[in-house]
Amino acid sequence: MNDHEKRDYQAGLEAEVDAFMRGETTRRTFITRFGQMTGMLAASGPILGMMTDWALAQQKLELADAGSPLGQAQAAAMKASMEGPADGSAFRAVEAAKAHSGVTLNMTYEAGLQALDPRNFSGPMWEQLTGMKSNVVELSNPDQYSKAVAEHIAGSGAYDVLDISPAWTPSLADGGVIAPLDDYIAKYMNLADLEDYHPLYKALPTYKGKVWGFFDDGDMFALYYRKDIFEDPKMVEAYQAKFNAKLAPPKTWEEYAQIAQFITDQMAPNVYGAGHFRKAGSPGNQFDFLQQYRANGGKLFGDDMKAGLVSDAGVKTLQNMIAANAASIPGNNELDAVSLWAAFLTGKVAMIYSWPPSGRMAANYSQSATAINFIPQSQIAGKVGYAVVPGNPEHATGYNKALSADSANPEAAYLFMQWICSPPVSLARCMLPYALRDPYRISHFKSELYGALFPSAKEYLSNLNNSANVGLLDPIMPGAQDYFLSIDRMCTAVWAGADPKASLETAAAEWNETTDRLGVDSQKAFYTEFLKLPGATADNTVEKLGMAVTL
Amino acid sequence: MQYTATISRMKAAGAPPRLSGFAQWADRHFKWLLVAPAVLLILALSIYPLLFSLVVSFINYDFQVPGHAFVGLKNFERVVFDPVARWSLLLTAWLSGVSVAIEFVLGLLVALTMVRGFPGRGVIMSILIVPLFISPVIVGQAWTLLLQRPFGPTNYILTQLLGQEVTIGWMTEAPWLYASLIIADVWQWTPFMFVILLAGLTAIPPNLYEAAELDGVNAWQAFWAITLPHLAPMMLLALTFRLLDAIRMFDTIFIMTGGGPGTRTYTASYYLYTVGFTQFHLSQATAGSWLFLVFTALVVTLLVRRLLKAEPV
Repeated sequence: MNDHEKRDYQAGLEAEVDAFMRGETTRRTFITRFGQMTGMLAASGPILGMMTDWALAQQKLELADAGSPLGQAQAAAMKASMEGPADGSAFRAVEAAKAHSGVTLNMTYEAGLQALDPRNFSGPMWEQLTGMKSNVVELSNPDQYSKAVAEHIAGSGAYDVLDISPAWTPSLADGGVIAPLDDYIAKYMNLADLEDYHPLYKALPTYKGKVWGFFDDGDMFALYYRKDIFEDPKMVEAYQAKFNAKLAPPKTWEEYAQIAQFITDQMAPNVYGAGHFRKAGSPGNQFDFLQQYRANGGKLFGDDMKAGLVSDAGVKTLQNMIAANAASIPGNNELDAVSLWAAFLTGKVAMIYSWPPSGRMAANYSQSATAINFIPQSQIAGKVGYAVVPGNPEHATGYNKALSADSANPEAAYLFMQWICSPPVSLARCMLPYALRDPYRISHFKSELYGALFPSAKEYLSNLNNSANVGLLDPIMPGAQDYFLSIDRMCTAVWAGADPKASLETAAAEWNETTDRLGVDSQKAFYTEFLKLPGATADNTVEKLGMAVTL
Repeated sequence: MQYTATISRMKAAGAPPRLSGFAQWADRHFKWLLVAPAVLLILALSIYPLLFSLVVSFINYDFQVPGHAFVGLKNFERVVFDPVARWSLLLTAWLSGVSVAIEFVLGLLVALTMVRGFPGRGVIMSILIVPLFISPVIVGQAWTLLLQRPFGPTNYILTQLLGQEVTIGWMTEAPWLYASLIIADVWQWTPFMFVILLAGLTAIPPNLYEAAELDGVNAWQAFWAITLPHLAPMMLLALTFRLLDAIRMFDTIFIMTGGGPGTRTYTASYYLYTVGFTQFHLSQATAGSWLFLVFTALVVTLLVRRLLKAEPV
């Protein structure tokens, strides 16, 4: 230290000592306090984390009245988990899972209603049975894909159990994001429970000969119509007089548009013939186009993997959809799924085709849960009939439970998946009034308890089963989001007046670009795998393959 | 002062208090230590992501295509040659320009009206600025409820007022869908213009108007000769802030039109969101974001330069 530095140092020190004597903060006290504050901040992280965990902790196990069908199904699920049969998948999962007591499973769920099941029912019940906790991570639908991939890239091990769309399985499997279950299945599962899946859904988690999850949500489109209108003698007579045909649920899309127009002509503005969720970004356009296009004989891709959209089937499909729009409630093209439900439940629309909750809402069953009070009370309970969508209905996305390849507790996570998808537990979950999980097992469709949920529940289940027999699957391959987005853009452009043929050409160009980006050969391999699935085309539905389920 | 005396004695003895090497180092670099946490925070939360995004825009970072290979300018090419991207940029410029122009005119009119005191002025001003505090998502939802057929009351009210049936598709038919988006934006952000311009108006010295009145200047002439020149910097400030915000328009579009019909209401932000988070082409979205940043920077530079030059007469 030279003299100049010494002088500076001493002057600084004097100033500090004087400041200290005056009770003012010195540099050192500042540094000390700053260090203390930093330490406190560091310590507050875990404390805040614990407080957050506490605040977001699962609620108590919510059980329905023991005498109600739901209460009985819940009791049966509990009994099967605790007492067996000893070879049941639920019982075996619980017994094995007890060794993992204290483990917390992080599981992704679609935000909102979907997450209420693990928060209020299955999560707390699993904890009661095994001592394992569940941490429900609510994500938007696209994030259920992107976050899973991002966390995998980061190697964070943030998730144990993933709720994924079946369409994502090939990408996630090839990307190493999810793990195959075959070894666990061989070790823990009663294989008879795999046979309990409806054949349309059974193979959905299978890819390249391995099982990559358990199917867990039968999102089958079905037609819901006003029986009172279709059976009204005046309407029947008028329809007979005009078309020389019986007024009945439509079997073809031309008939659908014709009946919708007829009802609108007869009953508007009180009731309109049909309604659809056609708003841009709501997935109604893609599902509706895909089901009609394939029912009309359209092929998604040619042998060279060029988009097959620009075809007579494509033009016919769009023309049919335009005719149906014209016959529908004003504002049809602005509706999303919830708005459409509101229109149907308030009696403004005579026919809709949508996901299975439509039937439960129409019967006023769903609305018994406060969580679903954003849906109006049904004014049409007891007046609704069920039919298969003309041609082939779409299985509109659905969910698989998949095991994260980065899970720190893969066996515990697998056991939870086996338990929650087992026949008795999955039945109770599908019966929850607020649940958006829809029946998918043969035992669900045959369930006496589910059939007693509301007066027409047996017909409802039967129709869902029949729909699955002739149902079509969404394309299961990488780029599915891109392909779907192009369809949505194409449809909404056509609703706004664009030329159908030109719009098909635009969409086809986008499809080709997507295929090129992902690799033609690679996409062809995925598509070839997809075509092997029952329900991939209108020519190989479950029914046409001779595997139809009769109840 | 006892300690000062002690130190003085120590100095005289030529024996400075011994401090550890670290303490001496900390003393010498105290100012840097103080700013270090803030610098590290900025580096971690701002600079690193920015640099990382730059890297991402030159590699494959697509959740559907495995690997992160270097792809050069491919991601930028995809954006530049994507007609949807070009359309979204044009629409962004058009929508933000029209919205901000309307908001400016309305905001100025309201500010001129409110600059003089009158009974109930405080209450009216409070009500006028309420939209500023509402989330744009809620604004979008509210306007959707008002405009969406068949449940929204707008067409019914217009039918009653006009005496003939109105069946406008406010969110699906051009040009009405653009009108809907502009209406929602104007409703929310006109108060912003109003507040800034009112502040500017109240800052103009009243003696200027008194002098002008003595000179026989009418109200219109006073506006052009006094108000406008004095308000010009505030006008430019309000326009700059608002324009920078408007070109990021996303929330109301997400809620009201979902980008449709087709891609007709894709703004730049909505396009980037769709590419990144619906299609999962993150590197393309990142490259697009950088291109958008360049355009935005150009606009900002022009406006800020103009703003710095603007001075009251």
